[in-house]
This record gives sequence, structure tokens and C-alpha cells, in this order.
Amino acid sequence: MSAPVFTSPPPLETERLRLRAFRAEDFEAEAAFYADDRSAGVGGPKPRDEAFRTFAHFIGHWTLRGFGMWALEETSTGLYLGRAGLHAPEGWPEPEIGWVLTAPQAEGRGYAGEAARAARAWAYGTLGWTTAISLILPNNARSRRLAARLGARHEDTIPFRGLDAVEVWRHPGPDAVEDAA
Amino acid sequence: MSAPLAFANSPRLETERLILRPPQASDAADEMAFLASDRAAGIGGPFHPMQAFRSVAGLIGHWGLRGYGFFALEEKTTGRYMGRVGPWFPEGWPEPEIGWSVVGEAEGKGYAYEAALASRAWAYDALGWITAISLVEATNDRSAGLARRMGCTQDGTWTHPLDGWVVDIWRHPAPEAAA
Repeated sequence: MSAPVFTSPPPLETERLRLRAFRAEDFEAEAAFYADDRSAGVGGPKPRDEAFRTFAHFIGHWTLRGFGMWALEETSTGLYLGRAGLHAPEGWPEPEIGWVLTAPQAEGRGYAGEAARAARAWAYGTLGWTTAISLILPNNARSRRLAARLGARHEDTIPFRGLDAVEVWRHPGPDAVEDAA
Repeated sequence: MSAPLAFANSPRLETERLILRPPQASDAADEMAFLASDRAAGIGGPFHPMQAFRSVAGLIGHWGLRGYGFFALEEKTTGRYMGRVGPWFPEGWPEPEIGWSVVGEAEGKGYAYEAALASRAWAYDALGWITAISLVEATNDRSAGLARRMGCTQDGTWTHPLDGWVVDIWRHPAPEAAA
């Protein structure tokens, strides 16, 4: 009966970002992102109510799994830029490191990589993960490049969630990455 | 204000035979089994396990986003999960709802009614709701019966824009009439 009622992400800091728990007001940025074609790389566009379901499930994922996605807040401005973290809902091939920049102005500045490295370091250092994948749609050139920069390798292409081809990128293991927690 | 998503003062309600509290990880297996079963037909199911997980995560996330949501029902005598009942208002919903669904072994015991009355009272008192609806599929006689028993009257239909799920809207008596 003394199980944790609600698990919140531990706050993490990188050079330019705060990785923190989601807040209700972050949803507006998520809804705007999913209304835009920019979300095609992660299964969008989707309507506002479906975006709400997706967003709510990221929050509950922490309680169900003990890990999940963080909200990315730009330290200098306090703006919500997107999310990154660890994702392993039911039916996932393996635990994943994921990232999405919802704010267009955040792109091209290395923020997603900065957050993904912090999340990976936490997975390896705190959770003891020994490996991790990232699932990337073939049309998402930007995420493929980031995966490569993170040292991941395109290992497989699988049918997944109704799509014919989703790429599985394998991250280097704990011993091979220098960004320790 | 940007309060972090936590419900530190998470409510815990007690009825004669049940404890109502926010869902937690230990409820997930029972709720997912319910969602995957034919019993979930009345709420748009049965659902694939991947979808069921997303739904359970969403039940918890709704608490984080709204500060209220479905309560997990814990049977006092056994500590077992009996289902979920509570205030529910995800994006796109026509109005704030009092929803309910119970697992098979809870059926016929009046648990849903007991919990729905407590949830409605809490929504009116603690959340300040001045009205509430319940969405019930036309073929779900048991839930329609419960709505009637709670004093609800039929108030049109609603079609879910994503799922095409068609439901009857049952309107609850207002706070003064329900007290």
C-alpha cells in the first residue's frame, strides 16, 4: 500500500537546458507542434485531443515505468523547447532514448543532442541500462543525423505501429560513451 | 503560476466499502487486463495491450494535467483493484464528465454507484463543478441504469471526433439537487 503514488522526473541540468517535469501549460506548445507539419517526423500531425492523450501518457509513463521523458526548458529564457528522455511503453521493442523539439526556433542549436546525452547518461548511470535504441522514421533526416552524432548506428529497419519501416538506431553502451552522469 | 505536475495533496476518499485514490503503478496490470477484455466494449474497447498501456498512463497523466481524474477503487476488505470512477475532462471532451468502469468481479455489488456518488460529491465540493455529464453507449444498459439511479437525465448524444465513438449524454442533477 505504500507504493509511490506519482513518480516525477528528477530535475537535471545541462549547459543550456533544464530537464524538468512537465507542466500543464507545456501542452499549448505540444498542441501547436502537433498541428504543424513539423510533427510528421514523429507521427503527426494530429489533432489537439489526440495530442493531449499523447502528452498525458508521457506523464503517466514515469509512474508506470520509473522513467520517462523530461520537459526541456531553455535556461536563459525559461521557454519550453520540447521533450527528451527515456521511453518504453508496452509493445516497444526495447527501451528507447527519444527527443522532440516542439519549438521551431530551438532547431539547429544542438539542444536535442544536449538533452539526449543527459538522458542517456542518466539511463546508464542511474538506472543501469546496458544499451539503448532510438526509433526513427526514415523521413526524419534531422533525427537520423543526431543519432549518428550521438554515436548510434542504424542497426535494423522494422515494421512498427502500422508503419512499414521504422529505423532502429543502437546507441553505444555505457563503457563507450564519455558523457557519464 | 507554473506548479510542477504533482498532486501532493492527492485526495483519498472513503465510502462504506471502498477507498478512492489516484491510480498508481500497482493498478496497471488489472486495468490493462480490463481494457483488453470484452468488458471494455462499453468504453470503446477491447484495446490492444499497447493502447491499454497508453490509456493507463493517460489516466495518471490526466491527474497531472488537470489536478483530478479517475480514482482507482480499492476494496476495503481485500485491498484489491475494483475499477475506476471519477471526474474526467481530457482535451476535446464536450464537458467535464463523471466516468466509471469496474472489473468483472466488482459487478453487481453496487460499487460503481457507491464510488460515482462519492466522486460526484467531490467534484461539486472540492472542484466547484456546477454540473456534470456521463457518457454512455446506447447499448450499455448497465451504465444507463446507473446513470438513472444517480438521477441523471438524457441530454443528447455526442460523437467522439477521433474514434467515431457515439454515446448518449446523461446530465447529472446539479449540486443542490444531488446533495
